[in-house]
Order: sequence, then structure tokens, then C-alpha cells
Amino acid sequence: MTALLEVTGLAKAYRGVHAVDGVDLAIRAGSITGLIGPNGSGKSTMIDCISGFQRPDAGRVRLSGADITGLTPQRIARAGLVRTFQNVRIYDQFSLLENLLVVREPFRQVGWYDALLRSPKYRQASHLAERRARELLDLVGLTRLGEVPATILSYGQKKLLALAAALMSNPKLVVLDEPVAGVNPSRINEVAEILRKVNVTGTTFLIVEHNVDFISALCDQVIVFDQGRKLMEGPPEAVHGDQRVLDAYLGIGEASPVALPGVA
Amino acid sequence: MRLAALLVAIAAFAVFPLLTGSNYFIGVTISGLIYTIAAAALNLVYGYAGLLSFAQLGFWGIGGYAAALTVMRFGGNFWEGLVFAGLVPAAVAILIGLPTLRTKRHAFVIVTLSFALLSALVARDWVSLTNGPLGIPGLPPPTAFGFAFRTPTHFYYITFVYGLLALGFLYLLGGSRIGQIMKAIKQNELLLQSQGVSPLPYKLAAFAVSAAVTGIAGGIFVFYLKIVDPTFLDFYYMQTFLIVVIIGGAGSFWGVVGIGLVMVALPEALRFSGDLRMVIYGAILVVAMLVMPGGVAGWLNDRRIAALRASLK
Repeated sequence: MTALLEVTGLAKAYRGVHAVDGVDLAIRAGSITGLIGPNGSGKSTMIDCISGFQRPDAGRVRLSGADITGLTPQRIARAGLVRTFQNVRIYDQFSLLENLLVVREPFRQVGWYDALLRSPKYRQASHLAERRARELLDLVGLTRLGEVPATILSYGQKKLLALAAALMSNPKLVVLDEPVAGVNPSRINEVAEILRKVNVTGTTFLIVEHNVDFISALCDQVIVFDQGRKLMEGPPEAVHGDQRVLDAYLGIGEASPVALPGVA
Repeated sequence: MRLAALLVAIAAFAVFPLLTGSNYFIGVTISGLIYTIAAAALNLVYGYAGLLSFAQLGFWGIGGYAAALTVMRFGGNFWEGLVFAGLVPAAVAILIGLPTLRTKRHAFVIVTLSFALLSALVARDWVSLTNGPLGIPGLPPPTAFGFAFRTPTHFYYITFVYGLLALGFLYLLGGSRIGQIMKAIKQNELLLQSQGVSPLPYKLAAFAVSAAVTGIAGGIFVFYLKIVDPTFLDFYYMQTFLIVVIIGGAGSFWGVVGIGLVMVALPEALRFSGDLRMVIYGAILVVAMLVMPGGVAGWLNDRRIAALRASLK
């Protein structure tokens, strides 16, 4: 098994509260891994730390064997790990195409001078980038809105745009922070379908999500967080029936002998 | 169509001094062009990159003093003075920008404001260099190939050519991928980082370019006035640049340039009302802000988006 992302002993505390408390995890290349857990269990801190938006207090993060611990978000993105945000982030004033064309990857060889004078090198990169951007808009079903300012999109459409923008970097690993929260339930299957399609081409996903049906249907592996620690991991079926997971979600401490009737 | 309108406008500005014999009108137009250039430079840093910089006033003043001192103290000519009027503010911008642009936007605003106020104090109190409150009077007319730029009409053409160069460059920069990234910084800096782009070099570039463009504008203007003194760092100038950017529409090149040229003419057009003219000017500004908080360009854009929404329903 080759681990694309390998996290060891990751810890992060805020004012003495251990948001993430010594977590090890490994994500297999080509997999779709779900990360679930109650609110405040440390999922968001975890992905902030691995994507460079927070600096971990301790521990190591490796992507394809390379140490990316504590690098800036832009360096980590260039290394191939790209994230989306829980409160969807897009450029409201840009058109959909412009949103995708900001991404560095297709322009990584293009210097300032080329960009300013629109040299042949720039124009070639720009041409390829636009073709890729249109493919991605097609993938997420927003083709006909390519020239429209992104501010007019619905919340769900903005999430799809943010996904397309993340894919624009050709990442090895995409970390999705609640990709279907707030999305119209009738459209959730479409999102799952898109992610499967991209996954087949070799992109690995780590998905933080509260929608357990979505996670169960999509993921090969599920990691459960509770109180800053990894509670368990396994295939969705195993996690589904696990008493510890139910306890964590229902807020029952380990010491409590009370079983909720009708839940187990 | 757009290009035709632009060429007509440029041609109109090119022949304007030949159509009027009034040095007064030519003078007003020179100030109008200079303020518009400085506003377009502020627009790059504030309108595009979202960084509210009060340092523009300091750069304007440093540019003015650098040009004057090059000629009066260091034995250079006017054109060399303009080079320093661009380079010195750009270097200062990088010095201020490197530590402050990494931090929060409020820190940047406060540091730039302090810098502007400090510049005015230095101009007044460093008497051995700046001649203090008396300033440096008697700036000689620029010369080139034996020709001396003496009259307002001559100065108009220096301003006009600089306007074409500076606005042309700002337009090219703002419309390029570099300008797009600056606009992206204003909208969502964290997203931009997650897309592999480091914001800092772009913020620094916006700040330094705007400093250089503003400094050279200040350098030309002091030679038109034939004197530079500490009143050249009066907050009135900063206020003018900022008003043009806000009313024109922060982030819109044409909004700012168009409104810049109109707004400077406005107080003159209101001259019929005598002492009331600045009051009327103020009232027009307040009403404009109430009706169009995003400036003229923002207002037009809102209407476009509203129409789009309606058509997609």
C-alpha cells in the first residue's frame, strides 16, 4: 500500500484546548476517504493543518513522501494538495471562467514579463488553461454559465465552481470541506457522481462531511474523529454499526452504561 | 467602437490647448490630468488589490521633492529629476510594504497613514535638505534639445505624454493576468493561496508601481507650480485622489479615469455659484455616494448583474 498522504503525531492546541491531539493517519493513493466526527472533534483543524492554513504544534505531514509540514498554503498547493472551504470561497466578481483561470498551475512557467506583454508563451498557456477550464465547467455542469459573474450562482453551484477550481490545479489530493452541506438534496447524487468520475482518473479525495449517506456511498475508507483524536477507521459498513461512533455522535461518555433504546 | 471613442478622446486632449487661448483652462486641465493619473495609481493598489493606502500622499510629496532637489541641489536636469521622482517612492514603498503587507489590512492602512503624516513633518522640519516651510521656489523650466518648456501649453504636453504613458501602462498591467491576481487578492486572499499563488509579490508590485506613478506625477506638478513646499503634502491631495477612485468605482480603470477627468472640471464648472461652489461640490459627492456606493462603475455593474439575474430566471 502506498500512502499518498501520511500524517504522524499531528497536534494543534488553541489556548490550551487540544483541537487535534496526536493524530496518525494515512491516505492511500487513488482512494476516496471520508473524515467524519461530531462538531468540534477537530476535523477542520486537521485539514487546516495539512493544507498549511494552520501551523501544527507537533507532528509531520508528508505528501508522496515529501515533508510538507508547516509550508505555506501556496507551496502545499503547488506540491499537489488542494483544499476547498466549508464556507464556500469563490471570486464573486469574476466570471466562472475567470475564477478558474486565476489558478497558478497552467501558468506555472509564465513569468511576470510574459503575463504583462502577453507573449506567445503566455498566450499558449492561456489557451490551454481555457480549454481545461471549459472541460471542468462541463464536468460540473456549469458550461452555459462560463461568462457569467459568479455572484449570481446558487449556493450549490458555487460549491461546484469551487470544486472545479480545485481540480484546475491538477492536484494529487483534493481535500473537500463539507462539499454537500447546504446543497439541495436532489443534487447530492450528482456531486457524488462527479467525484467518482474524477477519482477514476487517479485523483485522491479526502472528504470532511456530516452527510453520512453521502460518505457511505462514496468512500472506500472512513476515519472517525472525536475530541481531537482518531476514534476509529475502516470501511463505511464497519463504521456505521460501531457503538463508539454512535456514542461519540450522541454525546455519551465511555463511562456511561446507558444504552439508548432503539438506536443500536 | 470603443477604440474609436478612445482615439477621439485622445485627439481632443492633444489639440485642446490649440483651441483655447486661456492659460487658466489649460492649468485646470493639467491639474485634472495629474490628479487622474495619481487616482489611477491609487486605484491599482486600493481598487484592484484592496489595500487602502494613504501613503500615496507621501509618494506624491517625495516625488515632488525628489524632482526639485535633483535639479536645485544635485545638479541634475528635470528628466533625471523625474527618474528619481519615480525610483525613490518605489523604493520606499517596498521598504514599507515588506513588513506591513504580510500582516492584516488594518495595520497596512495605519502604517501608510502614519507614513503620509510623517512625510509632511520631514518636509517641514528637515530644513537643511528641504528648506523647511519656505520650500524650494524658483524651479526652472525643463529643457530638451535646447527647447525650454516655459508656458502652460508646453507643460500641458509634458503632462499629456506622461498621462498616455502612465495610464497606458496601468491599463496594460490591470488587464493582464497580474491585474487579475490583484483583483483576486481583494476578493479572496485565502482562496488565492489555496490555488498556489503567493499574494505578497503582487501586493508589493501594486504598491510600488502606484508609488512610482504617483511620484512622477508629483514631480511634474511641482515644476508646473515652480515651487515645492510642505503644503504639497496637504491632505487635500490625498482626499482628491481617494474621491476620484471611490466615485469612479474602485477597481474599474475606465470608471476612475473617466470620473477623474470630469470631477476636476466640476468645481470649475460650478464657479458661477461663487462661495457656494465647494458646498455644492460636497453635496454632489454625498448624493453620489448614497446613490452609488460602488461608484459609477459599480453602479453600472450592479445593473448589468440585475439584468442577468432577470434573464436567467
